[in-house]
Amino acid sequence: MRYIIIVGCSRTGRVLARELSNTDNVVIIDKDLKKLDSFKEDFNGKKIWADALDVNTLEKAGIKEADALFLLTGNDNLNLVVGKVAKRKYKIKKIILQVNDTMKKKIFGEEGLTVINKTYLLGEVLKKCIS
Amino acid sequence: MYIVIAGAGRLGLILAKRLTEDKHQVCLIDKSQRLCGLLARELDKVMIICGDATYPEILREAQIEKADVSVAATSGDEDNIIISYLAKELFGIKRTVSRVNDPKHIPLYKYMKVDNPVDSTSIIARVVEEEASFSDVMNLLSIKKGRLSIVRVDIPENSPVANKSLKDIKLPANSVLISILRGPEIVIPSGSTSILPGDEIIAATLIDSEADLTKSLIGKV
Repeated sequence: MRYIIIVGCSRTGRVLARELSNTDNVVIIDKDLKKLDSFKEDFNGKKIWADALDVNTLEKAGIKEADALFLLTGNDNLNLVVGKVAKRKYKIKKIILQVNDTMKKKIFGEEGLTVINKTYLLGEVLKKCIS
Repeated sequence: MYIVIAGAGRLGLILAKRLTEDKHQVCLIDKSQRLCGLLARELDKVMIICGDATYPEILREAQIEKADVSVAATSGDEDNIIISYLAKELFGIKRTVSRVNDPKHIPLYKYMKVDNPVDSTSIIARVVEEEASFSDVMNLLSIKKGRLSIVRVDIPENSPVANKSLKDIKLPANSVLISILRGPEIVIPSGSTSILPGDEIIAATLIDSEADLTKSLIGKV
């Protein structure tokens, strides 16, 4: 089983956490307790209610052992900062983060750091539909 | 100097005012349109830019590439880190200063190579601590991650060094007296200088010797 950390209990984060928790070890982090509580029996992972900008939180979540890290909070800058640090300091192999701004995708993308932009992605899919 | 400040909160604002008074050129960036409108009228010497400073195009508008220093003073630590990161990596700013809102976030500032993260919470906590301890010794400045301290020591009446000249006083190793503040006078000490009760002594000491220095100047720790 892979060890996966998800930061941000957004809609995407929740769906991903629920699905992956059937096959992998999943830890989800959010600073909003209500969002974490919205998981019912359908989630088989661990929930951590804390601030992801605090390295203690990341270490408590087991970042040193993680195979993959998803950063899916609605906050572009938080996703980017934690993503960069996870790569530089903790040498996580697979880091996937979401940003809303297309410009930031260009600046911050680097090897081992996949930056996903929903609008861009949807555009690509839409283009494929007519090709 | 040309200084770009992101975030026109209380800190950003006071900084902008002081720096313009000192004849520096200042550009202030803030997200709030309302605030920027007010500031544009109030601060006629400061260039005001309304926008999110974590976006490169806003920083470019502020001509950050010409800046000597960038200051990230917003209330979001993730924003401050990104602003400093862009300033450094994208625009080649040599010196990035940032306000740290939550001391727990300091490691991230370090990993992201912000040159000077200023942790006001810890600074204030230390000042309060110093005041509350009623100590005759006050730490004025810590250098090299706290290994070297500049301290101020008030000499009491019963000090073991009162009325002695410096050449007769044995100070611990790794400590040196820098100056003596005596009323309005500043005395740069030499061997024949005497220490009087009521003097305020400014000294530099390595952190390990601080207790010994205190003991030799005021008699107790």
